[in-house]
Amino acid sequence: MTTTENGKLIGIVCERSVDFDGKLNDDGYMLDNPDVKIIRVPCSGHIQPIMLETALKNGAVGTFALGCRMGDCHYREGNKFCRERLVGKRMPKLKPAVDKRRVQAYWLSAVEYDKLQAMVSEFSADCRKMPAPEAKPAAAKAPAKKP
Amino acid sequence: MYTESLQRATLWIERGLNKLFSQRYNPFYYHGALPNFFIWALFLSGLLLFAYYQPTLTNAYQSVHYITFELPFGNMFRSVHRYASDGMMIFIILHMLRVWFTDRYREYRILPWITGVILLTITFVLGLSGYLMIWDPESVTLAHITFNLLQKLPVFGEGLAEFLMAGQVITDYTLTRFLFLHLGIPLLMMFMLWLHYMRITRPVSEPPLPLVVMLTGALFLFSAAFPVGLNALPPGQTVPIIAGPGSISSMMEFDLLYAWPQYLAAAKGVPPVLVWLLLLAVPLGLLVLPYIQKKALRGQYAQVVRENCTGCSLCYHDCPYEAITMVDRGNDGTRFKRLAIVDAGRCANCGLCVGACAFKAIEIPRRETGTVLAEIEAALATSTS
Repeated sequence: MTTTENGKLIGIVCERSVDFDGKLNDDGYMLDNPDVKIIRVPCSGHIQPIMLETALKNGAVGTFALGCRMGDCHYREGNKFCRERLVGKRMPKLKPAVDKRRVQAYWLSAVEYDKLQAMVSEFSADCRKMPAPEAKPAAAKAPAKKP
Repeated sequence: MYTESLQRATLWIERGLNKLFSQRYNPFYYHGALPNFFIWALFLSGLLLFAYYQPTLTNAYQSVHYITFELPFGNMFRSVHRYASDGMMIFIILHMLRVWFTDRYREYRILPWITGVILLTITFVLGLSGYLMIWDPESVTLAHITFNLLQKLPVFGEGLAEFLMAGQVITDYTLTRFLFLHLGIPLLMMFMLWLHYMRITRPVSEPPLPLVVMLTGALFLFSAAFPVGLNALPPGQTVPIIAGPGSISSMMEFDLLYAWPQYLAAAKGVPPVLVWLLLLAVPLGLLVLPYIQKKALRGQYAQVVRENCTGCSLCYHDCPYEAITMVDRGNDGTRFKRLAIVDAGRCANCGLCVGACAFKAIEIPRRETGTVLAEIEAALATSTS
């Protein structure tokens, strides 16, 4: 069926970006958006496109990267590089076959949880409106990890 | 920690500035580049002043007088030079506060911090030497207080005073010495800036054009609105008389950013020792600051997985701190020629190299990609079952 109502979103977030203290449950899901799982990394520059691809391949209805404000990366260039990788301007790139409608990137500082929450809610609703992702070339091409 | 709340405050200010300037031109995101704008403004306006300035006792005041009142746009450029020096000091201090508040000043950033403190000190001396060159009655007063203050410093004081005065008494050479300092220190500054940028792969050394235009406009508008002018000599004098130390009110022309020790020394009841303690406490305190806080990295750094490294140099290009070098890997049975190695002392443990690697060949111990991928898979596995 085309239902994605129970689908999840995976957010791979820079630990210096939006502050999630007190905003997550014990399993790492956002209290305001219980379908959104937050996975922390040291910097958005640490995010490999394969992480977002893995999320979609494993059935997430959407996935997003979150880094600090452009111009304010703690490690100078992490968010810039992450964005360039996602839009295909820097190696390693996000695979062209990935459904770009299901991939988002946000650049917000630690004090901007409110903005993130609004944008993630919208993105989550959009992902749900789309037909369920089928086994598309993106999933077929990626090396199968599990039998 | 106290830094936590300071960082929060900085981020809230920036959130506001993003609304005002947009994220792209937020001046706080160019805090390190903005002092460089003032270096250019000072260099260009200073060239004109240098062409007309005459460093002798009899001519210094007269030449500044000529620049101010007769040279077309002379006072405008003097004002720009003066206000740019203030702008430079203000933006250096903002830059320093921001890297301090956002915890970007220690461990792998220790070299930029130390050279930064030196640059701050150099800028301070440079600005002061500029005020001494004007040689109007106020400037002479400032010079006297400065010489006296220097002589009160134990051990080095007498020598420093003699160096600054270029002799035991004030002569023509004194003004030549001021000029030498005012032109020579910028060269030292350039050298320090080179060190300041040394471990940064792609330093942001210039602000974007809209900010440059805005600041240039502001400098000229401010200079037109508040031209610096020049104090008149007492009636009957053509050269300022070198009298004893003046009163504090007679040097109100100088701003506190550069002349605060002299103001303090001229105030009643302040012993010179106290001024010197304060003067030395600032740079020394700043130098000690990075060592007070507990280290965050504890010797961790990125690890290259030799079997997986193809020598593609993606991480080498993306490392923001020049911590990765590509070396010849020798004959180790692989078909690859080069290998990435990490300089532990420079590594920020940030993981930008991990994001750059398409071959699982570099990892930071605190967050391995395998763990991240496993967490993603685990989260989604529970939802489908």
